Amino acid sequence: MNTRPEDLHDNDRHETGTLPLSRRNFLKGTAGLVVAFAIVDPTAAIAAAETAADSVGSPDSGKLYAWLAIRPDNTATLFTGKVETGTGVETALAQIAAEELEFPINRLDVVMGTTSQTVDQGPTYGSMAVRYAGPQIRHAAAAARKALLDLAAARFKLPAQQLEAKEGVVSIIGTSGKSVTFGELVAGKRLDIAIEASGSGFGLKVAPDAPVKDPSTYAVVGQPVRRKDIPGKVTGQFTYIQDVRVDGMLHGRVVRPYGVGAKLESVDETGLKDIPGFVQVVRSGNFLGVVAETEWAAIQAAEKLGSGLDPEGPQAGQAKWSDWQGLPEQDAVWDTLKKTTGTNNSVAAKGSVDLALPFAAKTIQATYKTPFQMHGSIGPSCAIADVKADSATFWAGTQMPHQMRADMAEMLGIPEDRIDVKWFEASGAYGRNGLEHVIPDAALMSKAVGRPVRVQWMRWDEHGWEPKGPPILQELTGALDKDGNVVAWRHHMWVPTTGDTRLIAVELAGLPQIGSEGTGDSAIGYAYTFDNADVACHGMGRVGLLTAWLRSPAQFETTYAMEAFIDEMAAAAGQDPLSFRLRSLDDKRAIDVLRAAAEAYGWDSRPSPAPQQDGKLAKGRGIAWVNRDDVRVATIADVMVDRDSGAISVKRVVVAHDCGLVVNPDGLSNQIEGNVIQSLSRTLHEEVTFDRAHVTSRDWEGYPILRFEEIPDTIDIVLVNNRPEYPSYGGGEPSTCPTAAVISNAVYDAIGVRLRQTPFRPDRVKAAMSRTG
Amino acid sequence: MSQPITINVNGKDHAVEADPDSMLLYALRDDLKLHGPKFGCGLSQCGACTVIIDGAATRSCVTPLASVEGTRITTLEGLGTLEKPHPLQQAFIDEQAVQCGYCINGMIMTAKAFLDGNPQPTRDDIKQALNDNLCRCGTHMRIVRAVERAAKTGQAQAGQAKGG
Ligand code: FES
Ligand code: FES
Repeated sequence: MNTRPEDLHDNDRHETGTLPLSRRNFLKGTAGLVVAFAIVDPTAAIAAAETAADSVGSPDSGKLYAWLAIRPDNTATLFTGKVETGTGVETALAQIAAEELEFPINRLDVVMGTTSQTVDQGPTYGSMAVRYAGPQIRHAAAAARKALLDLAAARFKLPAQQLEAKEGVVSIIGTSGKSVTFGELVAGKRLDIAIEASGSGFGLKVAPDAPVKDPSTYAVVGQPVRRKDIPGKVTGQFTYIQDVRVDGMLHGRVVRPYGVGAKLESVDETGLKDIPGFVQVVRSGNFLGVVAETEWAAIQAAEKLGSGLDPEGPQAGQAKWSDWQGLPEQDAVWDTLKKTTGTNNSVAAKGSVDLALPFAAKTIQATYKTPFQMHGSIGPSCAIADVKADSATFWAGTQMPHQMRADMAEMLGIPEDRIDVKWFEASGAYGRNGLEHVIPDAALMSKAVGRPVRVQWMRWDEHGWEPKGPPILQELTGALDKDGNVVAWRHHMWVPTTGDTRLIAVELAGLPQIGSEGTGDSAIGYAYTFDNADVACHGMGRVGLLTAWLRSPAQFETTYAMEAFIDEMAAAAGQDPLSFRLRSLDDKRAIDVLRAAAEAYGWDSRPSPAPQQDGKLAKGRGIAWVNRDDVRVATIADVMVDRDSGAISVKRVVVAHDCGLVVNPDGLSNQIEGNVIQSLSRTLHEEVTFDRAHVTSRDWEGYPILRFEEIPDTIDIVLVNNRPEYPSYGGGEPSTCPTAAVISNAVYDAIGVRLRQTPFRPDRVKAAMSRTG
Repeated sequence: MSQPITINVNGKDHAVEADPDSMLLYALRDDLKLHGPKFGCGLSQCGACTVIIDGAATRSCVTPLASVEGTRITTLEGLGTLEKPHPLQQAFIDEQAVQCGYCINGMIMTAKAFLDGNPQPTRDDIKQALNDNLCRCGTHMRIVRAVERAAKTGQAQAGQAKGG
C-alpha cells in the first residue's frame, strides 16, 4: 500500500470497514491483459507506483478498472467522477452499482472525484448525478457482472448461462455445491477488460450493450439504504476537505480588496515578522495573501493587512486599496438590470398578447423582485495546493474536480496529466460557491512559497466573496375574459449571468482569463396552455457582484413569479387556485403532482383569500408547482401571519414529488426536507446587502438564515410515479422551486396581501399591508 | 508569544505550544488533529466548533487557550466511536439526520450538554436549545427527531459519566 499522507486521509474517508484502496496501485503495472501484482503485497504496490510514468491523468473510461475494483477479500470499490455534496449521492450511486454488479452494498466502497482515480463524468450539479452518472455506472457494473460470469464459466468449464451471480458470489444455477466469490475470480488483479465507451462528461456512454437488469427486479435500488458517510460524520472520524493535513504544509489566508474592483496600492509589512510563525506576504497584482506556519499566525497577519468582519475603509489596514465605489445602489439593482444591455430570448411565443389585451375583461400587471442571495455554506471554502515547477497536487472540495484540473493547467502552464486534484467532501455548497475559487488562491500562495499551502477563507471572505445567486426582475401581465379564462399571459425576466466560471484569484492577479462570463439564462419552465403567451428572458453578464448558479439556478425565482402571478389571476377570476391551474394544464405529470399534494393536504375548493378572519393571527394556505428538468413538484403550505408584527410562520408543508424511479427513498426525503427548509429560509430571510464598494452582509448576523424555532411542524412527502418504468431524474434541487410562491400565496390567502419581493421579512409584510390598506 | 500549555481533552492531558490568546479550536484541530470541532465562522454565531468544557457547551472558536487550562474538554470524538457510538450519535445515525454533516458536531455537542441538564425535553425545548446552531442543508427536522429519539430512550444520560 502506498503510504503517502494523503492516502492515509483517503482511508479515513471511507469508513465502511473495507480495506482502503488506492486506484494508482491498480493502474501501475506492465501492459497486458491484467497487471501482475496483487494489492495485498505492499512492496509490489510501492514499486509499481515508483516505476510509473509521471502522468496522473484520469483512467480510460473504456476499461472496467476505471469504474470498479474487486479485492481478494471480496470487497469492492466503485470509482466515480461525481462527488458527494451532502445529498447522499455516494450511497445512491453505490446502490446502482451494487444492484447491477450483484454485490453486497456494505462491501462496496466509493472513491469520488479524485482526477487521477476517476473518469470525468461532468461536474456534480443540477440534480444530474443520478440521472446521468447513474446509467454510466449501471452499464459499467453490468459489464463487470458479465465479465465475472465469463471468468467463472471458464473456471467451472460450464456455459455462463448456467451460472448466476448473487451477493458477490457466482454459483451454478439449481445446485448448492460449487461457488466462487468475485474476489477469488479476480484474484487481486485489476479489471483490465475493455468496455465500449464514447463521448464525455454528462454525454459519456459506457458499455451500451451490457446486459442491464430489468428495473422491475431491482432489490437494492429503491431501498432506503443507510448512508455510508453518516457514522463517520457523527463520530468525528470523517475527513472533510477542511480536515486534510499534508506534510510540510503551511497555512494561508486571503486578504481581499476593500472594494470589489479596488486596486492594491501598497502593502506595509511592518510588524508581520513579529508574529511567531509568519512566513511571507504573497502579492500578485490585486491578489493578496499571507502564509504562515500556523492558522493563528496567518489569521493575525491577514488582520493586520486589513482582513476582518468590518473593515473601516480602503486605507484602514496595512494594505492600501484604491477607493473603488462601482457597485450599483442596492435598492436600484433591479432598475440597473433593466437598463443593462444583453441578450433577448423568447421562451414561448403563442398567438398575440398585444392583440388579445384590448379585448380582455380584466388585465392585471405585477412586478416581482428577488435579491442577490448566497450559498452560505456553514464551512468556509478550503483547499490545499502543492505547486511544483512541472507538476501540481491539489486537495479540494470542488463540485468539478476535472474542470478545475483543466483550469489549473491553464493557469499554471502545467500539463493536465501532471496535475492531480484529490477530492474530499466539503460543507454543503448548493451550487458554485467559493470551493472552486479557493483552489487558485492556494495555488498562487503555494507557488510563491514553494511548499504546500492550505487556504481556508474566513467567514467574511465567504460571505463577501462567494459567487452569489443573481438578483432577478420579472414583469408579468395577464388578462382574463368575462368568464375568468386567461386570454393573455406575458412574463419577462431580467437576469445577470448564472454561469460565470471566471476565477476570482485569476482576475485579481490580472492573469489571462480562464472560464467565461456567461449570460443570464431563462429559467422559466413555462407550462400553461394559454392561447396568447409571450414569455421571454433578457440575460446579461455580470452586474455588480460575481454571480453563479445557486440551487435550482434562477428557477427558484421564476417559479415564484409565475406561480404567484397565476394565483393573482385566480384570485382576480374569483376561482379556486388549484382548479384554476388544472384548467390550463395538459402536462399529465404536473396534474398528477398537484392532485397528489391536494389529496394529501385535504384541499377544499374555494377562492383566495380565505373568509375574513378576526384577530391578531390569520391562517392561510398556498399552492404552487414546478417542472424542473423533468421533475415535477407540487407544494402546499399553511402559514400563520401575525398582523401586528408582520411575522410569517410556516406550520405545515406537503410536497408531492415525481422524479421517476427513486433510488433511495429516505435519501430523497432528506433532500426534499432540506430543500423545503433552505428555500423557506431564502423566502423569509435572505438578502445580500452591499454598499457601493462591497458586500456588507459579511456574517450570519448580516445574513440571517432560518433557525430551529422557525421550522415547520411537519413536512409530509408524497412520491408520485416512483415506478420501474420511469427513469430516475434528480431530486437534489427541484423541491426548492415552489416555496416562495407557496408562501406568498398562503399569505395572500391569510390576509389578502400580495408579497412580490423576497425576502418576506416582517417589515416588508407590514409595508405591503399598509399599501393594501 | 507561544508558550507551553496543557489541555485536558477527552480524558487525556495534551501539551501544546501556542499563543495563549489563540483560540482552542485551532489547538484541537491543528495540534491534536481532531476532526469533530469545525471552523464555521470564528464569530460564535454558528455552533460548528462546539465542545463541552466542564459540562457546558462552549464555542471553541472564541475560547482562548489560556482560559481552558485546568478544565476538562470533551469533543465529538470523546462521546463515542464508530464501533461504539454514544446514544446521541446512534440516534443521529438511526434518523439519518445528516446531509453534508458539517454542522452536526455542533448539534450533537450542544444537544449532549442540553440533555444532560434536561433529560425529558419537549420538542419546543429542543428547538430552543438548538436555536443558535445553524444548519444550511436544512436538516433541522431530522436533527430534532434525533435528539427526541436520544431523549426518549433515556440513554443520553447513561452516557453522561463517560461523556463528561
Ligand atoms: S465556528 Fe464557532 S460558532 Fe461558528
Ligand atoms: S447538514 Fe449540512 S450544514 Fe447541517
